[in-house]
Amino acid sequence: MRRRAIATAALLALAALAIVAAASAKTDRAAAPSAAASADARLISCGKTVTMGMLAPVTGPAASLGKLQTDWAKFFVASHNRNKKLKHKLRIQYGDTVLGGPGGTAEAVKAVQSFGSNVLGTVGPAGSNEVRATTAPLKNAGLAFVSGSATNTELSTDGTRKGYFFRTVPPDSAQGTSVANFIVKTLKFKRVYIIDDQEAYSTGLADTVQAKLRSAGVTVGRDGVSQQQSDFSSLIAKIARDTQLVYLPWQLPPKGKAFGDQLRAAGKGSIQLMGSDGLFDDAFASLGNVYASSFPTSGKHAVVKSFKKAHGGDPEFFGAPSYVAAQVIGGAIDRACKDGKASRAEVRAQVRKTNLKKTVLGLNVSFNANGDIKGGQFGIWKSNAAGTWNPLG
Amino acid sequence: MVAILWSKFWDLTVSGVTLGSVYALIALGYSMVYGILKLLNFAHGDVYMIGAFVGWFALHALGGPLSPSAAGWVVVALMFVAAMVACGALGVVIERFAYRPLRNAPRIAPLISALGVSFFLQNTALLVFGASFRDYDTFHLIGAKTYNYGNVYLSVPQLLTILSAIALCVALTVLVARTKIGKAMRATSFDREAASMMGIDVDRVIASTFFIGSALAGAAGVMFGLVFGQLYHFMGFLAGLKGFTAAVIGGIGSIPGAMLGGLLVGLAESYSTGYLPQGSTFQNLYVFALLILIILIRPSGILGRADVKKV
Repeated sequence: MRRRAIATAALLALAALAIVAAASAKTDRAAAPSAAASADARLISCGKTVTMGMLAPVTGPAASLGKLQTDWAKFFVASHNRNKKLKHKLRIQYGDTVLGGPGGTAEAVKAVQSFGSNVLGTVGPAGSNEVRATTAPLKNAGLAFVSGSATNTELSTDGTRKGYFFRTVPPDSAQGTSVANFIVKTLKFKRVYIIDDQEAYSTGLADTVQAKLRSAGVTVGRDGVSQQQSDFSSLIAKIARDTQLVYLPWQLPPKGKAFGDQLRAAGKGSIQLMGSDGLFDDAFASLGNVYASSFPTSGKHAVVKSFKKAHGGDPEFFGAPSYVAAQVIGGAIDRACKDGKASRAEVRAQVRKTNLKKTVLGLNVSFNANGDIKGGQFGIWKSNAAGTWNPLG
Repeated sequence: MVAILWSKFWDLTVSGVTLGSVYALIALGYSMVYGILKLLNFAHGDVYMIGAFVGWFALHALGGPLSPSAAGWVVVALMFVAAMVACGALGVVIERFAYRPLRNAPRIAPLISALGVSFFLQNTALLVFGASFRDYDTFHLIGAKTYNYGNVYLSVPQLLTILSAIALCVALTVLVARTKIGKAMRATSFDREAASMMGIDVDRVIASTFFIGSALAGAAGVMFGLVFGQLYHFMGFLAGLKGFTAAVIGGIGSIPGAMLGGLLVGLAESYSTGYLPQGSTFQNLYVFALLILIILIRPSGILGRADVKKV
């Protein structure tokens, strides 16, 4: 009996070793310079339909964010494909990154590996950690990747993704500075509590704001909650009643609303709330008299209006940068495909040359050498009692 | 320093008891099923998630939070009924198709089946209900009134949750102790074969257990939605894990143990968030450390009894 168990265990171990060896061999081949070079320069016939990738959390805990991003990207592709002047149509191949799921960033890497050779460039990934995890496979494949939500400052400044990674949202350093300046110079608050949501986007932004506030002499409390958490009552009990503002650099607006509701239920409704661009949404605004930082978009922009019309009246601003990311990749593919053929290297080169005027973000979009938007900035917004956002200069 | 700690104490206690009430109801389902089948029904957290969604759909079928077709209290009562009936029925279906065929299989088989059902429910919810969060909007439905007694703040949904949980736990205790089906449950739990030989319809008893346990999970889902405001397809995973932890801490198989375990986990979560360094960030670490500690001291849980094996 015991001998059989040992034999079975040995067989299982051998099988595991064989699988690991096979997987490593596959990875090595994928990483080989010659293979990378050929993927980079291989010309693909553009034909009638050209494929762009989209790396987003379609399932998993952050699927609600992924839906906003895919809705906006699909909206761009639909409007692009209505343009009869273009010789080809775009289609999106989705890669599900399962952001926040138990598999960690491995799912994002698998999603990249699922892309076929026909994918010419990709929107996403959504999260900063996912960007880090997928950098090697995306670079090896020669793909340009344009994220609509990865804001960690170092992603564009550490030099490891130069020429491949671009983003249509300004980095945390830009947003953190705007937020801290507003709290210190405009609101003149002295007691602030910051709660991050334990994701790279949120902790990076929270760190930036915390450091700037402390250096300005503000007393700052700090805590974190998981994105899966919906019960904030214990955390709220911990926040002193004389706190003037709670800053929530979160990605999920319904969580922000739940926090606000629970804050009021705890009799602490006098504490002001401020969210980051992730909370710049009708759900958070519906709390009334809350602040948020965001790019200077406007509900009056024609694209926002038609998106709202197509999606039951909800502008879902969080996904808007993914619309622009799809616009960047789609535009680069269109230009690269002018001669009927395109390579991933050509698409990357065209992404670098992007120059979009009056985008849905309220910004002109072109990129600096690091892949960040030139002159990217954040404004501060406040919702009125009816839950409508208004810019504060 | 003591004054600062004390100023938070009652708020944290109310929060912990509220959360503990939800965990207690989830833990009861785990405990009842384990008591009868010795099965860890890992799909139970997802039944709770479905209950929360059924409550939401019932709410909207009755006009929604902004324009309910009846008084807020009536709507809430109907949400509870809808969620409990739907989840009870779902529990019976899960038992019939995922567990009953494996009743005599090795114990690992129904465990894997339970995990499979859990993922099935999670992904079906994603497919059917979508990935977006949904909100009960309790403030519009039953008002935002908060009662204040000194340092204690108690909102209407919190009060409702605590009272409903107490009522359901008392009802369950009476059902198990004083009714015919309760006696049959106890007999089946003690010795399934002997119960069958004594004329008890074991299949019916097990189905009833699943119905009741799942109905309690449905009620917990509605309570969670009322107090904490929002639902999504993944909400059952962590809540199920905490409910399971509560059941184990209290002594799995024991109904009073499940209630006690739920309250302990809720309070541990609340106090650790409020008092320990980075408590909110690492609350799960503290809660599961408590689980390990209690299991090391009392391997059968606080009110559990060690299995006596005949040799």
